[in-house]
Amino acid sequence: MPCRSSFVIIPLLLLPVATIAMAHDASKYPNWQGQWTVIITPGLEGQAVKFDPTKPWGRGQEAPLTAEYQKVHEDSMADQAKGGLGNYPTATCHPGGMPRMMSVGEYEYIIEPETIYILVGGEDHYRRIFTDGRPWPAEIARSYAGYSIGKWIDEHNNGRFNVLEVETRGPFKGPRAYDGTGLPLHFDNESVFKESFFLDKTDPNILHDVITVIDHALTRPWTVDKTYRRNPNLRPDWREFYCVEGNVHTVIGKENYYLSADGFLMPAKKDQAPPDLRYFKRSSK
Amino acid sequence: MVTSGVTVAHHSFAMFDKENPIDLEGIVQEFKYVSPHSFILLRVKDQDGATTVWNLEGGAPSILARDGWTSTALKPGDQIILRIAPLQSGAPGGSWSVDKIKFKDGQPIVVGH
Repeated sequence: MPCRSSFVIIPLLLLPVATIAMAHDASKYPNWQGQWTVIITPGLEGQAVKFDPTKPWGRGQEAPLTAEYQKVHEDSMADQAKGGLGNYPTATCHPGGMPRMMSVGEYEYIIEPETIYILVGGEDHYRRIFTDGRPWPAEIARSYAGYSIGKWIDEHNNGRFNVLEVETRGPFKGPRAYDGTGLPLHFDNESVFKESFFLDKTDPNILHDVITVIDHALTRPWTVDKTYRRNPNLRPDWREFYCVEGNVHTVIGKENYYLSADGFLMPAKKDQAPPDLRYFKRSSK
Repeated sequence: MVTSGVTVAHHSFAMFDKENPIDLEGIVQEFKYVSPHSFILLRVKDQDGATTVWNLEGGAPSILARDGWTSTALKPGDQIILRIAPLQSGAPGGSWSVDKIKFKDGQPIVVGH
């Protein structure tokens, strides 16, 4: 019993200090609490996961792609029309990375004085944005989400930050695509993203993330104002998402196949050959 | 806001032949309410009397939930009819959407939707 008592007492002693610190910090930051979901203009062609939520997906995004990467995109869609996966590794549960990870899921912002965490869900997990004033590291480990440094701004000089500016650099892992058609980012994976997060001036339940993509697959920087709506339910459902749980797309060699109801490979393309079984011993009759 | 019929998906659905949909009638073997996509495993009798189990890919649970679906919306043994976009390859698989599925007796899967 003495052990149990001491176990309980320690957190109770710490609690008032922690509470004071949190209250102090909260007064400096905007209220981004809750669950945020991307606002999509209804009635547009294609899937909801796309960079510009006000335009149709794929070609309809009107991405300023170079001629070389327009062809990458067209080839991707042509492959998909035959049953392939195109330029979209997310189909096999690879993380989408930046910027796709800001186009899907139910978002939650955890604001700490030195770091902001954006819980993402979906094929991606979270973003970590450093706001502790650190310089850019000499070397950055390759990742899907990139390395993000943010800076809080108090535009109204009232002692409360209202804008978060973030720069995210690679090197990234890839290939990455903006949407399910395989709308590509450059295969050099050297994109840079500049973002500005702020609450809407007239509706505090809408959050803006104005993202500018600087990428060698683009003829110029591409800027999109992504908006998110706060769930009015302050105790929303937070659904688990494990992509491998129900994934049926399997790539063997360079070919993708589809799993049957009983877990066997089926062709994804018309007249597709079975996979290469060179490493399986086959009995000769 | 995302609306019914718009898919939050982790892959293109171009592998399914939307231009040539087919109607299926069968018995639910299993309803997988899982990420990234839900699946209905449907036992379908062929014209020669043999049974084939179709793997039918639907919306993500997060999207189905917005249309009132839950993990128990379909149960093993339920008889349903639905219109699917079959796999381009001709294998027994395809995609379905909430607006093209109902119980065999005509009742909606989710009341009010």
